[in-house]
Amino acid sequence: MKDKLTRKNIILGLLICFLPLLMYGIDDIVDFLSRYDIYLGWPGGEYMLRIIVRAGVYMLLAVGLNIVCGFTGLLDLGYVCFYLIGGYTAGILMARLGVSYWIALPLAVLHGTVWGLLRGAPTLRLTGDYFAIVTFGFAELFFRIIRNEQWLVGAPNGQLRGIPAPTFFGITFNQNWHNYYHILILLTLVIFITYRLQHSRVGRAWVAIREDEQAAESMGINVSRYKSLAFAVSAAIGALGGGFIAQFQVSISVPFFDFWESILILCMVVLGGMGSIRGAMIGAAILGSLGEVLRPGFIIPYQFGNARYLIFGIILILLMRFRPSGLSLKKA
Amino acid sequence: MAQLLEQFINGLVLGGIYALIAVGYTMVYGIIQLINFAHGEIFMFGAYLALMLITVFNIPFWIALPASMLLCALLGMLIDLVAYRPLRDAPRLSALITAIGISLVLQNLARMIWSARPRLFPTETLPAFLVSEVNMQTGEILNAIPLPGGGILPYRDVFILLLAVVLMIGLNRLIYLTKIGKAMRACAQNRVASNLMGIKTNQVIAVTFAIGSALGAIAGIMVGLSENITPTMGYYKGVAAFAAAVLGGIGNITGAMLGGIIIGLAEVFGAGYISSGYRLAIAYIIMIAVIVIRPSGLFGKSTGTRA
Amino acid sequence: MRNWLVGLLIVGFVSVLGCQPQDKKNTSTTQTTQKELKVAVAAPYTGGAAAFGEMIRRGAELKEKEINEAGGINGMKLTLLFEDDAGKGSEASLVAERIANNPQILAVVGHFNSDCSLAGQEIYDRAGIVELSPGSTAVEVCEGSPWTFRNLYHDGFQGKFIAHYLDNVLTGIESVAVFFDNDAYGRGLRNAFVAEAEKIGLTLVASEAYERDSTNFKAQLTSIKAKNPDAIFISGLYTEASLIVKQGREAGITAQFFGADGVDSPDFLTIAGSAAEGTYLTTPFTFGAGGAEAQQMAADFETLHGVAPDTWAALTYDAVGMIKEALEKTYNAEASIEDNRKAIREHLASLDTPEKGYEGITGLTYFDIKGDTVNKPAYVKIVKDGQFVAAEKQLSELK
Repeated sequence: MKDKLTRKNIILGLLICFLPLLMYGIDDIVDFLSRYDIYLGWPGGEYMLRIIVRAGVYMLLAVGLNIVCGFTGLLDLGYVCFYLIGGYTAGILMARLGVSYWIALPLAVLHGTVWGLLRGAPTLRLTGDYFAIVTFGFAELFFRIIRNEQWLVGAPNGQLRGIPAPTFFGITFNQNWHNYYHILILLTLVIFITYRLQHSRVGRAWVAIREDEQAAESMGINVSRYKSLAFAVSAAIGALGGGFIAQFQVSISVPFFDFWESILILCMVVLGGMGSIRGAMIGAAILGSLGEVLRPGFIIPYQFGNARYLIFGIILILLMRFRPSGLSLKKA
Repeated sequence: MAQLLEQFINGLVLGGIYALIAVGYTMVYGIIQLINFAHGEIFMFGAYLALMLITVFNIPFWIALPASMLLCALLGMLIDLVAYRPLRDAPRLSALITAIGISLVLQNLARMIWSARPRLFPTETLPAFLVSEVNMQTGEILNAIPLPGGGILPYRDVFILLLAVVLMIGLNRLIYLTKIGKAMRACAQNRVASNLMGIKTNQVIAVTFAIGSALGAIAGIMVGLSENITPTMGYYKGVAAFAAAVLGGIGNITGAMLGGIIIGLAEVFGAGYISSGYRLAIAYIIMIAVIVIRPSGLFGKSTGTRA
Repeated sequence: MRNWLVGLLIVGFVSVLGCQPQDKKNTSTTQTTQKELKVAVAAPYTGGAAAFGEMIRRGAELKEKEINEAGGINGMKLTLLFEDDAGKGSEASLVAERIANNPQILAVVGHFNSDCSLAGQEIYDRAGIVELSPGSTAVEVCEGSPWTFRNLYHDGFQGKFIAHYLDNVLTGIESVAVFFDNDAYGRGLRNAFVAEAEKIGLTLVASEAYERDSTNFKAQLTSIKAKNPDAIFISGLYTEASLIVKQGREAGITAQFFGADGVDSPDFLTIAGSAAEGTYLTTPFTFGAGGAEAQQMAADFETLHGVAPDTWAALTYDAVGMIKEALEKTYNAEASIEDNRKAIREHLASLDTPEKGYEGITGLTYFDIKGDTVNKPAYVKIVKDGQFVAAEKQLSELK
């Protein structure tokens, strides 16, 4: 990726920077037209922003999952586990203990990182299949801990309510456009870090491990160390996403973090093309907002709403068979 | 004491079903090193197909049972042919993701065709001895053995256990005494070398899928008899059975059978005596513990990173 | 080059528009000659709870049809918009934002799942739009926002009610066991039941959990049996409760089974078969106990949809009726959408005594300061000869 200050990039950059203003601007135009009884099918800027913020969270998670799945080539079936850990760590700290978001978020990330290392440790000397099993088991285990241990959250089913929005010098960041810039900053940070890692010695070591672990080892790469690093970074990003979603949603419960969410994030990474940051983001943008784009169209035959995961399944099978590199142009 | 005995029986029946499913996972893994996530869904399809044969086509139970096994065997072979065979030489990850894709497709297909509402085999279509009942008014017990604690052991559960044992022995014989069994064992040891020795590996793999799927189908029907049939049954039972396969040493058929029984007993005793909230988590805990302590499983050979 | 410049200009122009102060936006939304009044009905039309959503939609459609055939609301047509939350909180918050942002939607009937109602609560509160739930029974649903209401009892009441019914109405019940679904509904109800049971002197001998979608309950049932309770309260949904009753009888349990409103479904009878016989359950409403209007609604429902209505259809029917009444009394075509939305809230909040309450087919609905329905009775049903019938003894007042 050779970034240049091309006109295209400048426009894109400006668009990203001023997107909330654009959305509210369209709102105003629609309002103006509605005075003359002209109604456009515009669903409202706040709603659009909310979809975009949620897609942004998925982008963050997809980039994080891509580190383990794409760079080191290990199948992670329980990525949602860190999302959950981050969400509940930040949520419990903020809602129940009154800790500020700016302290709760780093703690959530730290907590996620620790579990990322612990989860990966037993599988370091084993093949990827065992890693897939352990990740799955961990996610299900954490899901049940939150569900069963009522003293943690204080309500059944991990129903955590009233997570306060972050404040900074008396300003409360609870508007959708606040959250837009919030996730934009987090995403930029994460992409910057992952991009730098990918194009450093570390990234090359990861790819070497993916291609042939034994060869990598014999070339002097400390496989365990680099794998652990990948687990830790990936987990930290997942927990970051969780910490953000906790304050964004205000109220969270365990169904937010079920097994299918892991599968959804995996689908995003696969669709975009494993091993590519840009691919992961494109995949997340598509699948993260697809449900909402299809919403007006799918309102009539309700049965088709249930077909969403069926379509995801077909996408996975076809991509693996005919285009393992996903939508990205780069060959994985 | 009576309670202990009852729980033991509960665990055995559950374990028998897990063993039947676990064998399917372990056979496929043994031969092509693939975690066939779709196996749980084949198990679910077995139950639904039998239900369809009985209710829609009015086929008697004793014919529907083998017919559903046959259909599932074909389904398993079809999945292998269409989805897994082209990826035989692709990276591991591709095949694993394909397996998840198939699992998603089958589960949601079932949800669309048969809806999420739980189904049962209509009582009147089943052989009489499989329908057990306790009459609350008279205390009369139908088709069941009374247990000391006041409970009953339905003939149905005895049937499930016996069937599981017979099928397990049969499978064991098949693998150790027949030619195809020998070919399967050869493929499990080294697929490339077997191919060079003139074994048609693709056929052997197809047969493996067929046998595993047929056993899964029969387990599905058994669950349909004693519990109910839902699109998610494959997911829940599949995970536990998979844990059983890992416990027994994935790739090891005898291990999978014993693993199934152990997981069944562990689940029942864990839920009965420790904490019922973590009932389904017990399988995961065992699974993770096995991988941490002894990755080759209780009965597997110590293979280090090979598996 | 020119294309880019034009694009940039448009972005800049629209962005500048967006910089206008927010309150200017509000005043500009005056509604002109609107002939339809739009109300959203948010429920799980897909996903695991789709069966409930289906009945909610049908109940709402029936009321919509009746209102419009009777001349609409002050001559204006009522249009319902069905919004699917798939029964998931994460979806519900998006749906809520979508509804709140639609300047034509005046109020929301929904959501069904408590998770969804709670996820939407904050957004509806911020936007200032009424959320009237016909199905969320978790205690917290109406807490923390003046905009949330519901027209049925909450689990705190239901749990209490069941404890009292077991203690006072049924004879010979000294010890109880609870077998609960390990999710928001099952656990919340269990907590309420256990608290009250302990207070009134029922002995709680066992409290076991099970997982949604599990199908084998033998282990937990065997350990419950060893404690020998007089009654077993199943705090969960019919899908599992039917199997629990069946496997419980097989395990030799002779205790009285008691369920809550989640068990109230015809599927419970088909799956549990003869084991369902004699099971008691509570429900916020039962057609057997309803008046002539309820019978009329049931008949109309069957002609329109071809199936019998259930509790949720009836509650949704009433919820739409309440919104209609509010619109009838408060809607002002000249006022802004914000004011109209607010007027609906004020109207609902003013229904705070039995005299002012809304008389629907499910009974009299009026609210306390939080928006919870007060004093709406629970009914007890029993399975007799393979049918649900109203139990002989009802418990009309909680002491």
